[in-house]
Amino acid sequence: MASLSEEVLLVVKKVRQRKQDGTLYLMAERVAWGPEGKDRFTVSHLYADIRCQKISPDGKAKIQLQLVLHTGESTTFHFANESSALKDRDATKELLQQLLPKFKKKANKELEEKNRMLQEDPVLFQLYKDLVVSQVISAEEFWANRLGGINNTDPAVVNNKQEVGISGAFLADIRPQTDGCNGLRYNLTADIIESIFRTYPAVKQKYSENVPHNLTEKEFWTRFFQSHYFHRDRINTGTQDIFSECAKQDEKGLKSLVIQGVKNPLVDLLSLEDKTLDEGYGICTTLPSTSNANKTVKESSNSAIIKRFNHHSAMVLAAGSRKGEAPTDQASETSSTDGNSRDSDFFQPPVKKVKLQEAIEYEDLQRENRPKTVALNLKKSDRYAHGPVPLQSQHYTTSQDIINSVNYIRHEMMNYKPNLTEVRFYTAFLMITKSHNYQKETINRSEILHCIAVFLSCVVLVER
Amino acid sequence: MKLNIEGLLVYFPYDYIYPEQYSYMLELKRTLDAKGHGVLEMPSGTGKTISLLSLIVAYQRAFPLDVTKLIYCSRTVPEIEKVVEELRKLMEFYAKETGERNNFLALALSSRKNLCIHPEILHANIVVYSYHYLLDPKIADLVSKELAKKSVVVFDEAHNIDNVCIDSMSVNITRRTLDRCQNNVDTLQNTIQKIKETDAAKLREEYRRLVEGLKEANVARETDIYLSNPVLPDEILKEAVPGTIRTAEHFVGFLRRFLEYLKSRLRVHHVVQESAPQFLKDIFDKVCIDRKPLRFCAERLQSLLRTLEIADIADFSAVTLISNFATLVSTYSQGFTIIIEPFEDRTPTIANPVLHFSCMDPSIAIKPVFQRFQSVIITSGTLSPLDIYPRILDFRPVTMASFTMTLNTFNVCLCLVALSSKFETREDFAVIRNYGNLLLEMSAVVPDGIVAFFTSYVYMENIVASWYEQGILENIQRNKLIFIETQDAAETSMALEKYQEACENGRGAILLSVARGKVSEGIDFVHHFGRAVIMFGVPYVYTQSRILKARLEYLRDQFQIRENDFLTFDAMRHAAQCVGRAIRGKTDYGLMIFADKRYARADKRGKLPRWIQEHINDGSLNLTVDETVQLSKHFLRQMAQPFRQEDQLGLSLLTLEQLESEEMLQKITQIAHQT
Repeated sequence: MASLSEEVLLVVKKVRQRKQDGTLYLMAERVAWGPEGKDRFTVSHLYADIRCQKISPDGKAKIQLQLVLHTGESTTFHFANESSALKDRDATKELLQQLLPKFKKKANKELEEKNRMLQEDPVLFQLYKDLVVSQVISAEEFWANRLGGINNTDPAVVNNKQEVGISGAFLADIRPQTDGCNGLRYNLTADIIESIFRTYPAVKQKYSENVPHNLTEKEFWTRFFQSHYFHRDRINTGTQDIFSECAKQDEKGLKSLVIQGVKNPLVDLLSLEDKTLDEGYGICTTLPSTSNANKTVKESSNSAIIKRFNHHSAMVLAAGSRKGEAPTDQASETSSTDGNSRDSDFFQPPVKKVKLQEAIEYEDLQRENRPKTVALNLKKSDRYAHGPVPLQSQHYTTSQDIINSVNYIRHEMMNYKPNLTEVRFYTAFLMITKSHNYQKETINRSEILHCIAVFLSCVVLVER
Repeated sequence: MKLNIEGLLVYFPYDYIYPEQYSYMLELKRTLDAKGHGVLEMPSGTGKTISLLSLIVAYQRAFPLDVTKLIYCSRTVPEIEKVVEELRKLMEFYAKETGERNNFLALALSSRKNLCIHPEILHANIVVYSYHYLLDPKIADLVSKELAKKSVVVFDEAHNIDNVCIDSMSVNITRRTLDRCQNNVDTLQNTIQKIKETDAAKLREEYRRLVEGLKEANVARETDIYLSNPVLPDEILKEAVPGTIRTAEHFVGFLRRFLEYLKSRLRVHHVVQESAPQFLKDIFDKVCIDRKPLRFCAERLQSLLRTLEIADIADFSAVTLISNFATLVSTYSQGFTIIIEPFEDRTPTIANPVLHFSCMDPSIAIKPVFQRFQSVIITSGTLSPLDIYPRILDFRPVTMASFTMTLNTFNVCLCLVALSSKFETREDFAVIRNYGNLLLEMSAVVPDGIVAFFTSYVYMENIVASWYEQGILENIQRNKLIFIETQDAAETSMALEKYQEACENGRGAILLSVARGKVSEGIDFVHHFGRAVIMFGVPYVYTQSRILKARLEYLRDQFQIRENDFLTFDAMRHAAQCVGRAIRGKTDYGLMIFADKRYARADKRGKLPRWIQEHINDGSLNLTVDETVQLSKHFLRQMAQPFRQEDQLGLSLLTLEQLESEEMLQKITQIAHQT
């Protein structure tokens, strides 16, 4: 056997692969299968290479599990033990479910990143072909330069890699489908589950408390989708489910956030007015009283929806900036960054001062301290404004990003030691722009950013 | 730079100036020269505050005998603090240019918590505080009554000044008020009893003073020392306090009778509306209370509270309220209405009687200010139509001018979308869906922040619920996070901060908010915090309210302002406030979308401020949702180009040399749109 020293986590016998009986091994870093009676593996996949697993629907005659690799290939295992096939398969599935995400992050990202870069960037692809395929340098060396190039450009990126945020609409992506017999079917993916966990840590906690001891995973999610917690517009009629506690926790979290107040005094509606009229004075506006007693069912359902949206958005936002730390830090974070006591009225808090000064600044009335910007030289502004590139709302780059990038390059160039390579430096940039045919009038933002990225990667190459 | 404005040397703490700023200062100076009042409209973001401060400070320095003080009133605490910050900047500029520390004393009262002692106000050259310190008689009497006549008073953000005036003179009385008042009266009686046993001389001394009457106050008013108090009418100053309420016990007895009468009035089963004279007749018929002692009530109570040396006046707020009501109702036979409602309209089964004593005439509260101070400037970004303010506030301005924002390229894209939300059709499924589609489409093309305003809170709640059911909100969430204003100020503040955070970190967000709400009145959405504002519907005030109906009637009878004209004016000023939230300067840009076809009508359009009307053209009228999206895309791509000072110079931004050229001065005189 290839590596007996490896830790074997699970052994499943009577698993057929390509109509051959054999044994499936789940090890610390890979999954492997060997035909019966042979002492070698004919199938072996590192977990890192596996994109996902798929299982055959319940009730099918054949109980199968399929592994899909990043390369697009797949391997199917058929659990053939008559008595315990289903159990075997589920055990395998659950173990894989725990194992795969661990490897996924690390390997996947890198691989996907490389893939993406090559696909999106013909010049890089050409370079890759010239250098790696023709064996001038090895692939590792190539990527070491390339990935290093990204990291070197921005120290901030190296130190805290920006995590991918969560889509605000992830709950909307779980579209229920009717399964034909009075039931609803929710399709959950690992991504969605992760999004739910990251956004609602309370649900994650419930999950780890209850699964798998009290509930199976399936039961857990079924209850989740049935709960009032998920359907927040329904008013909680008092039914107890495991998620009612989550709702309470959310409520508490929201309250503590509200109590803490806001840092920016300019958005603090509580201190907006110097003097509200004394009690009893003023035109009595016929606002409906906010006490719950007077509210109709519809009204309180409406305000529940509003609360839910505010909460959801706040949680999604917080999940994006949490960077994987414990979610409960939120509270201490908001209070500590302020760093000044609010009680003293004699002392103007710095935040306030800065915000006020920002608010009264007229930058265009001042002569100095304006960053130089470079405008696009548009020959046919109509084409710039109308197309032909469809606007991609998801990948919006603000003009500020571009300005920053350009400023960065300028800065980089200023600090660059004048030596011979500098000549190549400029030439490289010119070549890149030429190769991308940027003489054409329509340039969209991603093209510019892309051009800058290519340029920077070349700078690193030249430096080496 | 140092400017020469018709011979006046003005220090202006910037290197460049907007033409409209110069023009504004010019009009302002003419107003001060004429020692009259002015109405000046200039959009926010054109440096109105610094123009005001620069000119008035320069004027004070040049003519210290003509203008002794600047009283700058603004509405919110942040506004007040901004003014102070700008003033600081101006003072630093003075110090730098003249090389001497100036001896200007400026004072800001930014919060009632740190309310200052009034001698300091008297000595300051500049006082910055909230409207209420001047317009609310209860506070004005404490803080502002000794301010010099030769002061210039500025009301900034004055588009709602009529409502502030009305609020400060209106009183609401509930059962709770009367119960608390009952307690107050009991406490008074006990205290009087105690003092009588220990220090009867004190009460005798008070009696003596009251026989003398309020002569002292009268002397003061005649010699013009004090700002007069509208709750202290002229007539009563000339008379002694009537015998029926002169002794402390009699007065307390009188209060009891009055209180019993009010209690009986609250025991109604149907809505009652009556005028002040009707009320006086009824109270005389039922409990024999005369008009005269009622008029002295407020002043008599103050005297009693002083005599009894009561420290915490706040405990006596209920009895103060009742006696203020007594004085007002017996003093003004016009301008007020009394409405007694036995229950809220929405909950007819729950008895909750309220007596509304509503002021319908804003000029009553502000009259002393116009009478006393030599120049009063009413200014804001939205004062259109300009002539309505002098009418409803009853004063004669010497200048009325509207300025617009000069721009080299338009940084505003205005879209009037032909959707309907008339009251009858606005619950319509199709209307709500169209609104939703508009927002959804915009969320896909507008970067960073979008703010959407609805006409009322209840309406917004319903729409949000429908959008939720229709799946529109889900789709919007794919593009941006959604935050919604609630009726809880703390909750909304948090939502606002999160909204800004989402705009800041690039995720983008939508804020759903309400016209006339706190957000629409006090929060700015500069730059990426508001790249588009959508106004869904026309924000008419809730017209079914009896108080509003009474006010409309009054406006029609007294000022010949037609009901519809006033309602439209009021709706338009709020709409303008909402959409104006997003454009806070020349380097800012944004879309203003009026999603209601009624905005295209001449009577609506005509009441919008000039700086909004200017952007309306044939291409922006009656658009479909698709056309709006196309226009927006085009506009946003153009705006994404950097703002360059060079392009602005000479047109919307001037150097001193450019300003002084003959041609430019000619042009500038045309900027002010006189009415």
